[in-house]
Amino acid sequence: MKRVFGAAFTMAATVAVGLSWATIGNAACGKVSIAEMNWASAELMANVDKIILEKGYGCEVELVAGATMPTFTSMNEKGAPDVAPELWANAVVEPLTKATSEGRLIVANKAPITGLGEGWWLPPATIKKHPELKTALDVINRPDLFPYSEDKSKGAFVGCPAGWGCQLVNANLFRAFEMEKKGWVLVDPGSAAGLDGSMAKAVERGENWFGYYWSPTSMIGKYKMHKLDFGVPFGGKENWDGCMVKAEKDCANPKVSSWTKSEVNTVVTSNFKKNAGVALDFISNRVYPGDIMNGMLVFMTSQKASGKDAAFEFLEKHGDVWEKWVSPDVAKKVKASL
Amino acid sequence: MDWFFNFPDMSRSDLREFKKTVDFAFTDFSRSYGADIESFFDPLLMFLVWFEKFFINTPWPLIVLGILILAWIGSRSIPVVIGTFLSFMLIGYFGMWEDTMSTLAIILVATFLCISIGIPMGIAMARSNKVQALIVPILDVMQTIPSFVYLIPVVMLLGIGKVPGLIAVCIYAIPPIVRLTNLGIRLVDKDVLEAADSFGANYWQKLFGVQMPLALPTIFAGVNQTIMMALAMVVIASMIGVKGLGLPVLRAISNQYLALGLMNGLAIVVLAIIFDRVTQKFGLRMQKYRNDGKD
Repeated sequence: MKRVFGAAFTMAATVAVGLSWATIGNAACGKVSIAEMNWASAELMANVDKIILEKGYGCEVELVAGATMPTFTSMNEKGAPDVAPELWANAVVEPLTKATSEGRLIVANKAPITGLGEGWWLPPATIKKHPELKTALDVINRPDLFPYSEDKSKGAFVGCPAGWGCQLVNANLFRAFEMEKKGWVLVDPGSAAGLDGSMAKAVERGENWFGYYWSPTSMIGKYKMHKLDFGVPFGGKENWDGCMVKAEKDCANPKVSSWTKSEVNTVVTSNFKKNAGVALDFISNRVYPGDIMNGMLVFMTSQKASGKDAAFEFLEKHGDVWEKWVSPDVAKKVKASL
Repeated sequence: MDWFFNFPDMSRSDLREFKKTVDFAFTDFSRSYGADIESFFDPLLMFLVWFEKFFINTPWPLIVLGILILAWIGSRSIPVVIGTFLSFMLIGYFGMWEDTMSTLAIILVATFLCISIGIPMGIAMARSNKVQALIVPILDVMQTIPSFVYLIPVVMLLGIGKVPGLIAVCIYAIPPIVRLTNLGIRLVDKDVLEAADSFGANYWQKLFGVQMPLALPTIFAGVNQTIMMALAMVVIASMIGVKGLGLPVLRAISNQYLALGLMNGLAIVVLAIIFDRVTQKFGLRMQKYRNDGKD
């Protein structure tokens, strides 16, 4: 090992300093800030990225708390943080396309987690009691099964918290499926805690619950929630991008549609490419299989583990997954540090 | 020397076990008693829903008229009444009428609830030093504990919506009225009480005839603070699904809608200022006798 390094240094001295720095790799990585989004899978990914970038590539990594819209806006406008490991791009399609075409942002990984998605969910107990509820269309005809606490004659459909991108989509789908006419109320849970709380409360007590959620999440894993088929095909890109994701005033005639395929990306700034270009390959190689991710999320909730704990657990237990993302050299360094 | 530099803490697995036990105990509690607790609050929920509908469905000119009359009765001040009128006109003009009415409804119920629980608590505290020693730490906790810490268990018990929102608002808003009722009664002059004693007043006569009237200005400062703090909790309450001015503020925060956030935020401020001015003027009038013959 020493000999290799020695050779590298001699080369560095004789050929060109700049070139050798790039080949050694370590010193070519500068300061990187990674957005640690406020949900479990993103916390895990941010912490895994931090450990691998620090130990494997010698970057200086700082984790920054984030959420989809603020983080994206900040990356787009200010170029910081440098990495958004799990950016749900559906909410920011247009500005993201613009930013990538202008070279400010780079979509480094188009699908960092497999098998994920947003949609409408039912608890397993509801499915068991009412096996006839096969699609969203079936559920929509039975508001009586999901009484709204403030008006028992109506059904409660728990939408997306105020201000999230999905809030507009849910509101538009609510209109497209004519749910108000069929006796539904669109409940705004107000925050992620409100949404989780309402689902957890219903499932823990064996009550019926019908609402929006997304996977992979510890909530879905923990409560074994059932994703509903919408019972209608996807209504077309034009309907979705031009109407569903917009405010009511810009979407006069929403068409019924299943939920669009979720685009989850790892987005990095152009600055990251400059500062930590060596690690770009790792970012674009790392794909978490959906079942492994779900397993990690259940681990996080059942063990009350933080993102950092979970990252170490992941690196220790699932070497077969992550060692393929990096060169053997880097893998060895990361392993030695565990 | 390891214990000197690193705190000798509980082992990680024990800590995890401890957290799990607490969580499990609470889940168990929620499973067995949650439905009962929920139905206990049902009448309150029905009332809240009715009260909100009443505010929203009453034609706006009647609401404005009613508020102006209340403002006049409270403040007896033309500028305050004019200011109230203009504020509500602007709120309506900018399309925030319905949200404002929702907020107004829940704030009024919260204030009423806080006062009707808080004043008896304050009286009990003023009567006995032991009760005071017991309640003061509880009030400290209520005022400083981060709201989400108790919001999560409340949501697990009662779901999202008005009742948990109301509870969250009251937990934060009740301490000032309790503290100031206690303080007001304790500050009543000993000589005055002695005089009442010498006239043969019994406990209740002393309380309602002497202590309460003399403490009223202080108690009123408490009512005023309670209303202010209830309004400050509007946005937090919206985080567990309470309709009103808080929801647009939340939407604005996550989307950087500057104008939307500012407008709804200012509507909350305007409500607060109106409540504040009216109750303050009312409180001032009640202690007018204090200035009699002093100038």
